[in-house]
Amino acid sequence: MIFSYNLLKSFFKKNFPKPKELAEILTMRAFECEEPQKVEEDFALNVDVLPNRPDCYFHFGLAREISAIIKKKAKVPKWRLKEEKKVKIENFIKITPQNIDRTICKRYCARVIFDVKIEESPKWLKDYLTVCGFLPINNVVDVTNFVMILLGQPLHAFDFEKIEGREIMVRWAKKEEKILTLDEEIYELDEKTAVISDKEKPIAIAGIKGGKESGISEKTEIVVIESANFEKSAILSSQGRLDLKTEASKRFEHGVSLSLAPFALDFAASLIQQIANGKVVKGKIDILFEKEKKRVVRFDSQKISEILGVEISERQQLKILKSLGFKKIKNKFLEIPEFREDIVEIEDLAEEVGRIYGLERIKGVFPKTTLTFSEKDPQILWEREIKDIFKSMGFTEVMNYSFLPERTIPLFGIPFEKVIRVKNPASFEFEFLRPTLLYRILENIKKNLPYFSEIKIFEIGKIFLKKEGKIIEKNSLGGAILGDKFFELKGYLDALLSKLGILDFWFDFYKPKSEILNSKVWNNIRCSEIKIGEDSIGILGEVSKEILEYFKIQNKVCVFEIDLEKLMEITKKEHEFKPYSFYPAIIRDVSIICPQKTLVDEIMQILENCGGENLVDVDLIDIYDIDEERKSLTFRLSFQHKERAIEPKEVEELMKKMFKEVEKNPYFEIRK
Amino acid sequence: MEIKKEKAKILKKIKETKSLKELDEVFKEAQNEIKNFTQKLKKLSLKQRKKFGKEINELKEKLEKEYRAKKQVLQEKTKEKKEFFDVTAPGKKIELGSFHPITLVKNRAEEIFQSLGFEIILGPEIEDEWHNFDALNIPPDHPARDVLSLGKTFYLEEKKLMRSHTSSVQIRYMEKNNPPLKIVAPGKVFRKDAIDATHEIEFWQLEGLMVDKKISVANFKAIMEEFLKRFFEKEMKIRLRPSYFPFTEPSFEVDISCVICGGKGCQTCKESGWIEAGGAGMVHPQVFRNCKIDPKEWQGFAFGMGLTRLTMLKYKIPDIRYFHSGDLRFLKQF
Repeated sequence: MIFSYNLLKSFFKKNFPKPKELAEILTMRAFECEEPQKVEEDFALNVDVLPNRPDCYFHFGLAREISAIIKKKAKVPKWRLKEEKKVKIENFIKITPQNIDRTICKRYCARVIFDVKIEESPKWLKDYLTVCGFLPINNVVDVTNFVMILLGQPLHAFDFEKIEGREIMVRWAKKEEKILTLDEEIYELDEKTAVISDKEKPIAIAGIKGGKESGISEKTEIVVIESANFEKSAILSSQGRLDLKTEASKRFEHGVSLSLAPFALDFAASLIQQIANGKVVKGKIDILFEKEKKRVVRFDSQKISEILGVEISERQQLKILKSLGFKKIKNKFLEIPEFREDIVEIEDLAEEVGRIYGLERIKGVFPKTTLTFSEKDPQILWEREIKDIFKSMGFTEVMNYSFLPERTIPLFGIPFEKVIRVKNPASFEFEFLRPTLLYRILENIKKNLPYFSEIKIFEIGKIFLKKEGKIIEKNSLGGAILGDKFFELKGYLDALLSKLGILDFWFDFYKPKSEILNSKVWNNIRCSEIKIGEDSIGILGEVSKEILEYFKIQNKVCVFEIDLEKLMEITKKEHEFKPYSFYPAIIRDVSIICPQKTLVDEIMQILENCGGENLVDVDLIDIYDIDEERKSLTFRLSFQHKERAIEPKEVEELMKKMFKEVEKNPYFEIRK
Repeated sequence: MEIKKEKAKILKKIKETKSLKELDEVFKEAQNEIKNFTQKLKKLSLKQRKKFGKEINELKEKLEKEYRAKKQVLQEKTKEKKEFFDVTAPGKKIELGSFHPITLVKNRAEEIFQSLGFEIILGPEIEDEWHNFDALNIPPDHPARDVLSLGKTFYLEEKKLMRSHTSSVQIRYMEKNNPPLKIVAPGKVFRKDAIDATHEIEFWQLEGLMVDKKISVANFKAIMEEFLKRFFEKEMKIRLRPSYFPFTEPSFEVDISCVICGGKGCQTCKESGWIEAGGAGMVHPQVFRNCKIDPKEWQGFAFGMGLTRLTMLKYKIPDIRYFHSGDLRFLKQF
């Protein structure tokens, strides 16, 4: 909101701070204020008046605030009004309480001024308006705007001759009513828009904008000035309906002091009298439905000091509050100035005392508190451990948007009823909440292809889906590796799960039935379901050709996604130390020829079962194809005894037993 | 025969040789000597032959062993002299992994607050209107739903929304726990905006809350100064300015002395020497009442800091769009 430095200054006698100094004072004690801008002889101050302080949306209000800060009195604006004795307002216009809708209007005041000469405003008036960003129009309209920026009361001027039936009403509009406003826009009205009307039709949108037809023109001679106080709810309703906000409506929306209407009206009338030679008709309309109640607040200087954490004497506190317009009444109560609707309880007083006293004067003091135990959500520890493991394996962490464009949903074969749409997305690129991390991860791969030949990335973040109609969010872990590296990625996941202390994980064949990502995403052969016991916790696999083509990625890419919440749930068990043997191990390699379709796992099972507790490790170290029918698998076996060095003889016996067991299958053959 | 004497002599000679050539000569000499001994052996009695034969064999073995050992030593020595070894050649390239800079800053912030006795908690990213607005004293027609950029909230079906600030976590925690409370909650927040160098639709905040019998503004200042000092690893000044949030009273903007210029004035701080770091205030009594906590008995502060902003300041990242870029040229630097 822009203020005129000169106008603010006019409220004070002397020693008013310089523009830059004033801006700093305001920033530190009340509202952020930008560097003052010189406008001819004046300075424009852009003050970010806080939304709970509509009492400072105008010059007099801000001057009042400055007065408390700089501890100097601000003059209250005065006026001299001469009424014409012979003509009474009742002879001109009819405005009755019956015709004022109470749900729209709290107070309606009006005056009539005749013999008005519409012309350009004097320079001083035009200058003030220009600095504050208003375009000077004519003397009457300029006065209404000036009074608004000076006293905070929005006013409206009607051309008396254009008011049909000489009657003014405040009511909700009817369906199919229309209005052409001052700026030549046509608005379609309905029962949710509040209007000022004459006997026939709406002549203004109440509290927002005047109508063109009843507006002031060069020919206007008799002016009706309206000074009313409209209900917030009515203003909000009209604003929403018409998608229209104005300087006036913004003020009503935040609340205008109820006592202001007649005061501002007389002030405006006196100005019009002064600069447009108008003659003011005797009397004014003032319809008031509710009186402003005196409001009080309990004052407790001790509590205020405790909230601020600095000892400020009761005397000093009272002095500050009085300078802001509070009055001390009986006992421990203060009367709240009627323009301070934001003040309700003691905490509000603490804010007033604190900022006028000076927040920079409050020094940091460490709290004396009860001893509490600081803990971390287990999810945080869990995430950190996983991130640590991935980093140690050479993966780079990415963080992607939680939103996806619509096209990704069918691309990944996800049914629309399982995803969540944002009602007011930032753009169509961000219309759905991501049901998987993988889309953006593939995007990351694509983006980095021109610069890197090796890419290993991972992400931990929330994914969002609908399950049985309900919205759920869950933590997910996803990642990718560039290249034909299924087994490398499998190895990383193996390392991750082992490091997390999970013992019974395994990789099952993928059967296309998975809940969210269906088989479109995966190369169905080079794909595996990650399981712990019988629970599936995620999928690992090569990305399907179709998806890679979509991303225009020529290389192969392997990705995985794991349900972190499920993983956490299953593995809450403690990670225990497992004792190991201190005695030397004997290592033996064995090659087994078997049919191409034999699962490595099948042979490993046989070896492990025969080996018993002295076979401590079995690793597959080589696979090669002998011909189309057969392949050779080489395993490295590691034997160890818990309590003593194992004898070569024992190892030979175990090996013999294994060979016998393996060769029970007529298709298996030990290579010697 | 003086085999033992000879043995000592040979070994001494080997020990003293300085080149391979010399060593070979000594070795040949010694072998000849041994041959001589063997020939002499024939003339001796069986008993003596047995005795000296053994000694000769021992000498032979010892000689060969010493010769080989010395040869190796000398070979290595010559090698060292001759081989060209360029230590300036680059080491084997090791591909290290890296954390996202937000993770680094989040971890650090969590560590500091935990060391100050704060509990680290989390909350959901999808929220309801109660936790994101109403409980925080922001009823539907409140102008603050607009003014505080909260009008930029993303709405979903079932009256759900993407949380527009982490303050919602405060409410969830206060509803379930009795004071005294000391928590921080890091998390992602979502706001509808046009993305540019300083605006994002998704960014990170850190919410803090401390409630006890007599927690004050002065306490907030001390905790904040301590946090910033540890985070930026230097003395930091903070400045509170009056502000307005529906959920705190009194409310402040928290400015920190510019980490780039140290307060002298630069581009980052727009020549003011100060940078906005977040909002704070004393928990509004209505917020306490909404969470069934008696404001007459308890008081405390709450604050919200921009983690994304802190990260930009800490690493001097000029554009907020880097964070979601997924660009490894950016990410691998951390």
